[in-house]
Amino acid sequence: MKWTHRQQEEKYRMKAFITKKRILTVASIVLMLVIWKVLALAFNTPSIIPHPETTFLAVLKIFAEPGFLAVAGSTVLRGVTGFVISGILGILTGILAGVSPGFNTFITPMLVSVRSIPVISLILLALIWFNAGAVPVFIAFLTMFPFICTNVSDGIRSVDPGLVEMARFYRVDKGRILTGVYIPAIMPFIISGTSSAMGIGWRAIIIGEVLSQPQYGIGTRLQTAQSFLNVEAVIAWTLISVVISFIFEKLIRWGEHHIIRWQTGS
Amino acid sequence: MSLHIHNLSKSYKQPVFRDFSISFPEDTITCVLGPSGCGKTTLLNIIGGIIPPDSGSLEGFENKTFSYVFQEPRLLPWKTVTENIEFVLKRELHTGERKKQAVDLIRQVELHGFAGYYPSQLSGGMRQRVSIARAFAIPSDIILMDEPLKGLDAGLKKNLINWFLKLWKTDRRTVIFVTHDVDEALLLSDRVIVLSQPPTRILTHLNIEEPTGERNPGSERLLQLKQELLKNLF
Repeated sequence: MKWTHRQQEEKYRMKAFITKKRILTVASIVLMLVIWKVLALAFNTPSIIPHPETTFLAVLKIFAEPGFLAVAGSTVLRGVTGFVISGILGILTGILAGVSPGFNTFITPMLVSVRSIPVISLILLALIWFNAGAVPVFIAFLTMFPFICTNVSDGIRSVDPGLVEMARFYRVDKGRILTGVYIPAIMPFIISGTSSAMGIGWRAIIIGEVLSQPQYGIGTRLQTAQSFLNVEAVIAWTLISVVISFIFEKLIRWGEHHIIRWQTGS
Repeated sequence: MSLHIHNLSKSYKQPVFRDFSISFPEDTITCVLGPSGCGKTTLLNIIGGIIPPDSGSLEGFENKTFSYVFQEPRLLPWKTVTENIEFVLKRELHTGERKKQAVDLIRQVELHGFAGYYPSQLSGGMRQRVSIARAFAIPSDIILMDEPLKGLDAGLKKNLINWFLKLWKTDRRTVIFVTHDVDEALLLSDRVIVLSQPPTRILTHLNIEEPTGERNPGSERLLQLKQELLKNLF
């Protein structure tokens, strides 16, 4: 059959494309490591630029530390808490803003203001208002919420009115119009909002921790390492936070792949 | 029994219908033919209750249920072919029963190999076939069709007409089909009504005696009818 043949061809092309992408990704990482190594050799002062291999050993040492899970876990927990709060409120507010143009006009200046305020100003204020552990959560909320809200309201507005008209015409009940038309239509927007929010929110949490110094937290460890001029530990903790952020990004992509299968048709 | 529209008026910026009346015999296929902008889609939307008329009355449409084959197939991109048909079926139906009905219709339009495909994986003609199957999935009294063959090539059009007639013959309903394509009208309908430019009025109507599905577009009778319709259209 012509059809399956075409699909087969498409599959091969896709496979070749993925292999090429993987090679390029690996090449990019290798290049970064090479530049790092060259700089370390050129400076030849490990207290300023440590060698990649000793830094990786430092990462392993941190992993083996008894308090590691408490430190990384606390930061992750703060991130997840901030994310869940902004997710729930962002989706609800976003739906309202998408459905009601009046509410959208009302909320836009607030979202724009929150987004334009430098994160550092928010942290300095939060330091006055909240206890050390709550500061990063508050910062995560303020940085993530506008992204999720705007994406959801854009998603609601992008729902094809023809599909809604079709469903109404066929007398599909309201509940199924919501679950069968609106929610799947806004899903890609929620996911892309989540992805941007996570990227920005995660960094904000670490900055929040650096300044608020909760008992456990990657930010606290970064600050401590920096004050002892322990560059190796600063980079090691940075790498750990990059890896955690990467894991979250992967989780989102995995969710995307499963939730919006219809876009790729797999 | 017939369905009637009496003294319909509808204006947008310009009046489209002014004191317009039209009838549709039940269980037949009526084709409304007319130039672009003559209010064909407006007429369907008024019949289907999507838009209200400014004035006028509809008789015989009370308590009737409708299906609509839109110009674009309007399939949910995140649902497979089967799920798209199941979506319009009554919730009271058992899940298994819904699926069975959907699968049965998919088989009738010969798309059973594609039941699990998403709309983006289908060709335009296949998508419209799903949309036609969906219209027959619910037990509607009236099927409204708004130029569902627009933009498809001649061969596909002919095939789709055959699919449609195949379904219709096993499950006869009142069909109101609007188009500006004379050939489509001649192949598909029992009755053709030609509308004028707005303010719209009926220019002519003719009945085609020859049964649908057995018509030869090259036959003398059909060519003669085509001439007559074209003369009225332009």
